[in-house]
Amino acid sequence: MSSTLPYRPSNDSLSTSNPKNNGLPRLSPAASFIARSPSHSHGSFRRKSSDYPAGQKMRRCKSQYPLDSPERHVEYILVASFHIDRGPIMEHQYPAAISGDESMLAELMLPDQTHVRSQDWTIFFLHKDTSADDDEDDEDGTKKKKKKKRKKSKADDSDGLDGSLHNESNTASEEDSSDDEEGGEGPPLMYVLNLVNTKQDNTVRRGAVVKAMAICTRHSFLHIYKPLLLLALEDYFKSPYPETLASLYDAVNNMDLSLMPRMSILERHILQSSNTKDMFIEKFEQMVRQREEEEAEDIEGPPSPRKTSRYVLPRDTHEFESKVVYNDIPIPVKIPTVIWPETVGDFSLVKLIQTFAGPHAAAPQGFPNHPHLTTSGPFTHPIIVLVNAILTQKRVIFLGHNRPSGEVAEAVLAACAIASGGILRGFTRHAFPYTDLTKIDDLLKVPGFIAGVTNPTFANHPEWWDVLCDLPTGRMKISSHIEPAPVTEGLLFFQQQNATTPIHTSTSQTDPTGDHLFMEDILRSISQRHGENAVRAKWRSYIVKFTRVAAAFEEAVYGASNLYIIGPGEELSPDSPTGHQADPLDPTSLRGHGYVWPDETSKQRELSASVSRIEGWRNTRSYYSYIQDIAAMYYPARPIQRPDIHHHHDRLRSLKLSHADSGAIYLALAHAVKDYAGICQLLTVTPENQAGLFYISMGLFHPDQVVREATVDLLDRISSHPAGRHFWTHLTRFAKLGYFRVKRERESAQSPITAAPGGSIGVTNAGTSFSVEPQSLVGVALGDNIKRKS
Amino acid sequence: MGASVSKMMGKIFGTKEMRILMLGLDAAGKTTILYKLKLSNQDVTTIPTVGFNVESVTYKNVKFNVWDVGGQDKIRPLWRHYYSGTQGLIFVVDSSDTARLEEARSELHKIINDREMKDALLLVFANKQDIAGHLSPEEITQQLQLTKLKDKLWYVAPSVATDGTGIFEGLAWLSNNVKTQTAK
Repeated sequence: MSSTLPYRPSNDSLSTSNPKNNGLPRLSPAASFIARSPSHSHGSFRRKSSDYPAGQKMRRCKSQYPLDSPERHVEYILVASFHIDRGPIMEHQYPAAISGDESMLAELMLPDQTHVRSQDWTIFFLHKDTSADDDEDDEDGTKKKKKKKRKKSKADDSDGLDGSLHNESNTASEEDSSDDEEGGEGPPLMYVLNLVNTKQDNTVRRGAVVKAMAICTRHSFLHIYKPLLLLALEDYFKSPYPETLASLYDAVNNMDLSLMPRMSILERHILQSSNTKDMFIEKFEQMVRQREEEEAEDIEGPPSPRKTSRYVLPRDTHEFESKVVYNDIPIPVKIPTVIWPETVGDFSLVKLIQTFAGPHAAAPQGFPNHPHLTTSGPFTHPIIVLVNAILTQKRVIFLGHNRPSGEVAEAVLAACAIASGGILRGFTRHAFPYTDLTKIDDLLKVPGFIAGVTNPTFANHPEWWDVLCDLPTGRMKISSHIEPAPVTEGLLFFQQQNATTPIHTSTSQTDPTGDHLFMEDILRSISQRHGENAVRAKWRSYIVKFTRVAAAFEEAVYGASNLYIIGPGEELSPDSPTGHQADPLDPTSLRGHGYVWPDETSKQRELSASVSRIEGWRNTRSYYSYIQDIAAMYYPARPIQRPDIHHHHDRLRSLKLSHADSGAIYLALAHAVKDYAGICQLLTVTPENQAGLFYISMGLFHPDQVVREATVDLLDRISSHPAGRHFWTHLTRFAKLGYFRVKRERESAQSPITAAPGGSIGVTNAGTSFSVEPQSLVGVALGDNIKRKS
Repeated sequence: MGASVSKMMGKIFGTKEMRILMLGLDAAGKTTILYKLKLSNQDVTTIPTVGFNVESVTYKNVKFNVWDVGGQDKIRPLWRHYYSGTQGLIFVVDSSDTARLEEARSELHKIINDREMKDALLLVFANKQDIAGHLSPEEITQQLQLTKLKDKLWYVAPSVATDGTGIFEGLAWLSNNVKTQTAK
């Protein structure tokens, strides 16, 4: 039966999009990154683990934006104006002409109705590739030479700009090459922040001058340049020459971010989900120390103590403070330390949610039924409809008539981030934060997009969109022209599977997806002013849960999932009862993986409520990118491959386990979680907003003394970990008392008798399995995986 | 809910809604006309329209939603996106700009030959009647070759947008004719 239901092998779609992977079609971005530095990237992880058992970081800390990086903060500065006879035209470009359609760019820089307001911001993205650089550039010989050189370096790289940049910076970023989230999707996007000013001026024909200046950058934190654009555009009105652009270009590119440490994916997870202001301060300290050591070497003099004051540590490690000196004015800028994919600019999820939640709460309007979108019936919360629409790759338009174009752009960026949760990607790549009628023909060629417009004529064209989000009224509309959800094999098979079990219709269940409860929780968070960060963290876990439910669904329906790589020694659920220890001598061989439901009925209920949108998601770009990411992130994000820490921590949290079962989990965790990266991984599943280490600390009260002591050891390691120490201080007094009691017990018991033999055997066991096996595990996991998919 | 009540009131008291699209070459006076309609007794100074303006004006029990779209030649291809659902076209001509009347004629014919505009009423404002060297409404009619049009309700109204002369007369023609049209 299952053989008639093919997997959706992503081979064809991937190999067409990225021809350069060889023999590993399914893993395209992973393949390219493994090919680049296989031993190095894994080796460094291993080295880390063996070198710093105490969680101390001795290794050199790398900069996120090193001084010698060939990558510039800002690549182009553009100026456009509205010519009263010819419409939008490009006036100047610096340092060279950006390729592509100039008039298209000029149109984007002069948004609709800019004549009715004196100032407006927009954001848009450029998909800049290599062919772009071939453009004419005849006025400056040296520039041409430089370009040629760059060309040569990328000649052997079919991937063009993307590849060349990474090649050049490879030495600096080898370890984290896994972090280039854009992998496999072509060159990174160029983000454009644009400011347009309209000045009434009676001395010119028709009474006004409209000019716009834009900054093109590959950094997604482009909002930091806002004050600079304000100053520079003002200067440009006074002196409309390329020199004005040049001075801005030099100023922003002289911004020094070299003391910003580079973080691993796990560290970024921890930092973002934490509110602790000095989380990972050690890394910043180390960056400063390294810099001072370098300087001391250069000067060859005795290090003077007052030099320490030259570099200040951040007040909040979530932001890195620097400055840009423009025309002798130092302008402070704050750069976010943790940048997730699909997080561009400064938007507010709170604002987006409130815009649509308010009218819905006041007077809910029923949606026409669409299985992908209205997952909780006609009165599905509009934000859920929006997220469903983005997940299932619908065409979404945000319309803000009479609103500044910056406002619709913000809504689009927020929508991308909400559906991504920092986990899924491919949304910003198909987002048009601000667009207008001139681009409509191109827009309609994109299958599934998120676009922002201010022109209400879009509302009159339901054939252009699937979901229209009207910002002024806060109402969402599902188009009358929307394509009906196709009936997929997965859907049919799921229904067949569950035909025998009497599945309650969704009407008998009030909230089978849990989305009502979730939205209530979000709105409560907002009204209690928990802040943007808390709301983002909740959405993140919502998306994580969505992917895990989808993985469970695939396993149930297709027999295996593309969305989860099962660890070594693990088997698919039917043959492997969760909680079973495969190897009686190795506590880490505890089986079980994936999302945890309290019982089979609730699992079936949730799956049947989510089946439509999961099936709708399974053919989208974000689904395929996610599969790639899982492969690419397997090692960086999961230094502990077994047991499935997330799964077993969830069991502690949501199930009523017997003492034997919970004891097995505590032992497994204590034996598996040893090194720096492993502790990081554990901390990512115990975020502060979900009780932190509380469920771990419950192991201190386990009836079995071996379990209690293993927990003490685990907590010992965590509390000496740079991030773990913050989690330790957040533990309740009760838990800490328990910790000291177990410690005391052991000390008093230890003097006559030696340590429990079971514990020590386990330790050595785990230790060896970690230091010897990793390389073979690479092969096992990849090989296993390929076999499984091909 | 609120919308349906006002719709019902509209049925009882005979108010209608009409979507009007106002086009014309750049600097013909479209935006001035729009704001003269909206703010009848104020002076209006305008600057070139980037994109479009849209306002609702209620006149003689008809609520006009008037769209005024920028006229620079480069952005004229966008006009077609505003056609669907349009019941009346206001085409504004600068009567003193005789050099560009031919250009205006060809643009106008392009618009009204579009399938989506075939039922729309056509009102031409022969604007800037106060400027020396202007053509009369009859001359404009001829230059635009309106007499050639078949199955089309059209009217040419002389106007001076800056002081409001002729504007409401033109609107009155639209509201009178839209009634007969919707009645059928």
